[in-house]
Amino acid sequence: MSAANGLETMWSELVELCNEQFNSSPFKRLLAMKFTQARAQQYSIQMAYYVQNRRDGWGYVQGSAPFEVKKLIWQHEEDELIGQKAQGKVDHITLAVKEGEVFGLSAEAFERTARLEGGEVCFSAWIRLAQRPWLEAIAGSAILEMRNSGELIRGGSLSLRIAAMLERDLGVPMKKQINNAEHVVMDVEHANLLMQVARKYASNEAERRAILRGARESLMIDRVYRGHLADMLEALA
Amino acid sequence: MNLLEELLKTLDKMVNDQFESVEFKNFLAVPLTLERGRFYVIQNALYTSNRRDCWGYVQGGSPLDVKRVIWEHESDELINDPRAGMDHYALTVKQGEVIGLKPEDFERAQVPAMVQACFHAWHHIAMHNHWLSAYTASHMLERRNNGKIVKGGGMSYRVGKKFENELGINLKRMISLDVHVVADTDHSENISEMFERYVKTEEDCDLVLKGAQESMAIDRAYRGAVGYYMAQIN
Repeated sequence: MSAANGLETMWSELVELCNEQFNSSPFKRLLAMKFTQARAQQYSIQMAYYVQNRRDGWGYVQGSAPFEVKKLIWQHEEDELIGQKAQGKVDHITLAVKEGEVFGLSAEAFERTARLEGGEVCFSAWIRLAQRPWLEAIAGSAILEMRNSGELIRGGSLSLRIAAMLERDLGVPMKKQINNAEHVVMDVEHANLLMQVARKYASNEAERRAILRGARESLMIDRVYRGHLADMLEALA
Repeated sequence: MNLLEELLKTLDKMVNDQFESVEFKNFLAVPLTLERGRFYVIQNALYTSNRRDCWGYVQGGSPLDVKRVIWEHESDELINDPRAGMDHYALTVKQGEVIGLKPEDFERAQVPAMVQACFHAWHHIAMHNHWLSAYTASHMLERRNNGKIVKGGGMSYRVGKKFENELGINLKRMISLDVHVVADTDHSENISEMFERYVKTEEDCDLVLKGAQESMAIDRAYRGAVGYYMAQIN
């Protein structure tokens, strides 16, 4: 198989894997939930922790990646860690906390609420994956943004689907869910990072297999994580 | 003296003591020739790359506000240092032109065995330690380059002066060394501010000192190794 065909095949497989997430039992359970205010509050807090864990993961990936890829990741992290100040956009953690206000959450609520136990375990697993050889590691982080890209996911990305549920159940319009709304847009852009890297660094079968291995493992952790979130929501009134 | 003041004083003593070590003395005593200078500049580019690896790992393991400080720090290094108008790797490659090096010389560069071992050791600290130890380990290499702290000048300044005195190349023309004389002073001061926020207990101090001691030991081994390899070049 030529490198170009190999890349296209790999990309198609990655896109299918992301779409299959939504057919998994944990995703179905999570997306079948009905949000109450208490559920929305806890979900919002846990998602802020998820975003923080992504920052851990991308940091480790930046550490092990080649110089040119480090630069791409550094730029990617500007949106997430710092925000686009010139466009008046805040970082994504601040955004998550601000979004919490529409569900009646204060900034202190984020500080005093612990991470979900199952979430903690998944976060450790994602960090471990981020410390693996860099092609596996970058795939492990980038695939989560592909799974959140409205361009790649049939029926809408995870952020879009959750936002629609919150609008349906709590009457909070998407434009007021500033964190979800931002990710619906940003993750379309960020989802292209992996292919950009693969074009230069995945020129043989072994490299493409490494990317698929990292992606599959991350999506497995993602399913477990979403299952824990569904358990948490079920336990709340 | 409070806990933090005492800790910072200890760190300052440690970076000054580096220059009294046999490894640093041997390294700084190797007479420069053009070939040795070329070897050093190429090795310095590889060292800079290793720093980028480690700061990335440290960013991964740190609390959010520390991540932001490291991200800003890496802006100069990875993207563009306004003092130089380019990133620090490009700056090192550009500096090489002064002594007849081409970009391909950097691309082809091999990491010698003893240097490789040091790079792995720094990776290990950055990735597998408590974040305060990891953070300090990387910070200490900039503190050791801070002329406001190190009596007689930091490493970049001293090596720059060797190029000036022994090869007749003015420090201003050794643009990477020259920028690092200032940049690492700024960086080490910005990064040092984080200690004020996070070092509150004896246990925190121990974590900082662990990272500092281990990194300084590797730094001595690294300088000893580079000096050894330079001395092999006629």
